[in-house]
Amino acid sequence: MPIQLNKALIGRELQPFVVTIERGKIKEFARAIGDANPLYLDDRAGQASEWGDIVAPPTFMTTFRDAAGDNTDFLRELGTDISRLLHGEQEFELHRPLRPGDTLLCRSRIVDIYEKTGRSGPMGFVVRETVATDKTGEIAGAMRHITVVRL
Amino acid sequence: MKYSRTYAEDVKVGDELPPLVKGPIQQIQLTRYAGASGDFNPIHQDHEFAKAAGMDDVFAHGMLSMGFVAQCVTDWAGPAAVRKLGVRFAAIVRLKDTVTCRGRVLGKSSKDDVHLVELEIWAENQRGEKVVTGKATVALPSRDG
Repeated sequence: MPIQLNKALIGRELQPFVVTIERGKIKEFARAIGDANPLYLDDRAGQASEWGDIVAPPTFMTTFRDAAGDNTDFLRELGTDISRLLHGEQEFELHRPLRPGDTLLCRSRIVDIYEKTGRSGPMGFVVRETVATDKTGEIAGAMRHITVVRL
Repeated sequence: MKYSRTYAEDVKVGDELPPLVKGPIQQIQLTRYAGASGDFNPIHQDHEFAKAAGMDDVFAHGMLSMGFVAQCVTDWAGPAAVRKLGVRFAAIVRLKDTVTCRGRVLGKSSKDDVHLVELEIWAENQRGEKVVTGKATVALPSRDG
């Protein structure tokens, strides 16, 4: 009998958190990918661009985490642990480029939890959505993350 | 030329993006990506942990491969052009793997001076197996300004 995931977590809103985008973090992230685009790395190229500053790479929102948070408790409540997780799918929607100094309020919600049996046996799926809004309440970006749990 | 401007008028359905070759993947890149992204899952760092979790060895963060695919798109369309980027992680990327990212234009639309281009995007390893598949939407400038 494979492990069942705790579906009572569907609809759960996680603790909102605030992120301020740091210049050095954008550069560190671009370098880790090996992307030397000057609009990520060179302040002068950024200032000369139509955005007036360097911008963050399209996948940068993946760095948005609750600094005070620890997902160990959440995973325990879900009925699993970190060693069972794989990344299934990821989607970003970018309403505008993200720049150093942007302060964003991030709200995450568990939108679905389900199980399926595939080629490699029973798998659980946890769908999480995060919306990041700026100080004016405008949505700057959103992401959807599907975690696969090897049951 | 790398980072040249791509204009909406010059794009045709079926056009292919210049392929981007990344790797071979080394442990140090996974460690750097962990630090940069905040994803410190030991399955990407610690061989013993990966073995105990039933994997052959450590493997790359899916998000690193997605970063490669995003670079393939932004090298062509510009770093602030991406409106939507969605992928499925189809297979694990292992140490020493080479990842080639590709894209193809699926469609074009223009409304209120916003010119959107839909792309099919994917990445494959050195054996030609798809490791990432997905779609992107980019907004491109017009030659009319």
